[in-house]
Amino acid sequence: MFQPEPAAYIQVSTGYAIPHSVSDYTFEETPLRLNDGRGSGALGTGPSGANALLYAPMLSAPAGNRVQVGPAPSSPGSFNFNPTSLSAAPSTVPAPSHQPAPLPILLKMESSADELVAQEAAAREYQPQLEGPLVGKKTPSTAITEEYAKADPIYVQKTMMLPQTYTHYRQIQGDGNCGWRAIGFGYFETLIKTGSKARVDAEKERMQALNAYIETAGGVPAYVFQDFADETSSLLEKMSEMIGNPERAAEELLEAFNTPDVSNSIMYHFRLMASAYLKGHRATYGDFISTGTGVDGYCQAVLERHGVEIDHLGLELLVNVLLKPIDFVLEVAYLDRSPGSEVNIYRFPKEANSQLASDLGPTIHLLYRPDHYDILYPPEPVSLQVHRVTSLSQSYEIASTPAALHSYAQLNLQPLAFIPGFDASPAGLAPILDTTSASPLTTYSPSPVSPWVSAPFPDPALQATSASMAIPPPAPPLQPQTHPLRFSEYCQLPEYVENNTRREPTFQTATFKNSHFNVAHYNNPNFQPEEYKPEADDHDSPPRGGGRKRGSV
Amino acid sequence: MSHMEDSQNAAPGSVQANKLGGAKKSVEPAQNAAKRLQTELMQLMTSPAPGVSAFPSADGNLLSWRATIEGPADTPYSGLTFKLSFEFPSNYPYSPPTVLFRTPIYHPNVDFSGRICLDILKDKWTAAYNTQTVLLSLQSLLGEPNNTSPLNGEAAELWDKDPALFKTKVLARHKDIEDD
Repeated sequence: MFQPEPAAYIQVSTGYAIPHSVSDYTFEETPLRLNDGRGSGALGTGPSGANALLYAPMLSAPAGNRVQVGPAPSSPGSFNFNPTSLSAAPSTVPAPSHQPAPLPILLKMESSADELVAQEAAAREYQPQLEGPLVGKKTPSTAITEEYAKADPIYVQKTMMLPQTYTHYRQIQGDGNCGWRAIGFGYFETLIKTGSKARVDAEKERMQALNAYIETAGGVPAYVFQDFADETSSLLEKMSEMIGNPERAAEELLEAFNTPDVSNSIMYHFRLMASAYLKGHRATYGDFISTGTGVDGYCQAVLERHGVEIDHLGLELLVNVLLKPIDFVLEVAYLDRSPGSEVNIYRFPKEANSQLASDLGPTIHLLYRPDHYDILYPPEPVSLQVHRVTSLSQSYEIASTPAALHSYAQLNLQPLAFIPGFDASPAGLAPILDTTSASPLTTYSPSPVSPWVSAPFPDPALQATSASMAIPPPAPPLQPQTHPLRFSEYCQLPEYVENNTRREPTFQTATFKNSHFNVAHYNNPNFQPEEYKPEADDHDSPPRGGGRKRGSV
Repeated sequence: MSHMEDSQNAAPGSVQANKLGGAKKSVEPAQNAAKRLQTELMQLMTSPAPGVSAFPSADGNLLSWRATIEGPADTPYSGLTFKLSFEFPSNYPYSPPTVLFRTPIYHPNVDFSGRICLDILKDKWTAAYNTQTVLLSLQSLLGEPNNTSPLNGEAAELWDKDPALFKTKVLARHKDIEDD
């Protein structure tokens, strides 16, 4: 996945400030960011990550102390590292604290100084290729699942569960402002959802007070940020006018946030708010500043700098100044490789974490992937009821079940388990098929399950039954929300299967057991060593090939 | 996005902005920059700071300004006036202006083409800075050079070692220039 693009080195050196003298590298103090290649970028270090660790200290520390780590150590203080090795350092340098320590002119690089200058110039001009709108359209979040389908199993599992909690998401451009932009958009969008004109008008009033606060606490002259603040006010004004027509308001909002002038201004206005709030609460937050530059340095280098991503402290500040006073909650779902089957949720302000979701005020949901934020949307209350297998509770109709259905329920559906997509069927299916009295099926015609049952088996014996049950014709990708992926045989996902209280299909023939379709096979990408479970011995755990005991790896 | 970009490139007046923006992929409309610069111009005229001034250049391009700084008293630059050029990128104020000394100046942090080494014009820039704050920073840089990262090594050395010679060199290099 990792492509050593020629541009990769560039982010390492974006910070150095002086075009002419080699002796004066000053490295940017802000954290270096990964390429925002979604998915693949989130996977972190590429093959040359180790190199980065090697070269990083060389670049930021006096050369004489570090001779031993160089690729070609010669006499102390005069090792030759050539610019090509410099350019090999990828974008994933973990960026320790880059002290702008001057590099003594001990490096022999007269011959390559021109190249370095050229590289530096290219680095300064470098703009990552950004695709798509600043704020994207609302999309089913199954797209995220598909994106990660080939990723690390932890990602696969977490993204599998994601669409169940959040049905939709909205992509934000990864230009370094995505967190700020996402919260800005979410703030307006949530205001629209409240549907209260009074509330939006109250926000316009509050903005006046906040602008005064930016001036007094933040120390920014009004004329400097007036243009930014005006955009916020005028968008609030528009929202207030359109509050009766939420759809139009939403369109207007999307358009506004995709107009760079408007979008950037509002975002910067919010940056200044957060910065002012920090300056107004130095005692509370001063100790949390990790950059070692103090409150003012942090405001300048992180909060007030266009293109620098919001960090945890920034989130805290922005929520406190913008969202908390109006009882809005910010919920961030962290999609990372920490162990677990679902994304970790954290709410701002922190008090909200101990409250029930139903007790919270209007909530903005964000999805955080390393170095990037998108907006998430939980399912609308109505559709939640529709998609869940609630009809199981209608078992009182058992008595009226036509006799024909009993024979249907006794069908051997075992072979279905070998159809790749079938494995991902919702948890509800197994219990239905197991019940000897299949009465729920009468009320089941529009459910997501039926196509799976009727489609693959045009067995004449079944046709009559199917017809009498009035099962609609198959329409395969019916409910993407519940089972988004058609699994290939390479993707058996033991964890997912366990969570759904289903067992992986037992491999009944020797051919299957010994093939890589079996997760116990070392060639299976989701290789899972077999475990001996005595308690499971009696009913489940069919004997497997003795030669497959590789569990101690 | 790409068609938007095209139409902007075709728009009159944006050619210059495009050139200034360098190889940037996403050229943003310069309207925001123009609006902001008008506000700044108003501010500079209504409440000018002592010793600095700035105006859009004569050709009517709001993204290109001329500025002057008077050398602060009690510095080697006392009594001298320096002319500078400001070129604002189309996404100003999110990116810093390119500032050059047009008047030849002998200073540790300015090279012989007039290029300046000042952090707030590079990686320390924020959109909360403006033309006036840049000019005031440059004015204080005249009296307090950053000798640890010089562009002019000789000047940095003489600043501490031989102030008299430094002053001589400042005066020798200084030359009033005509406006273009």
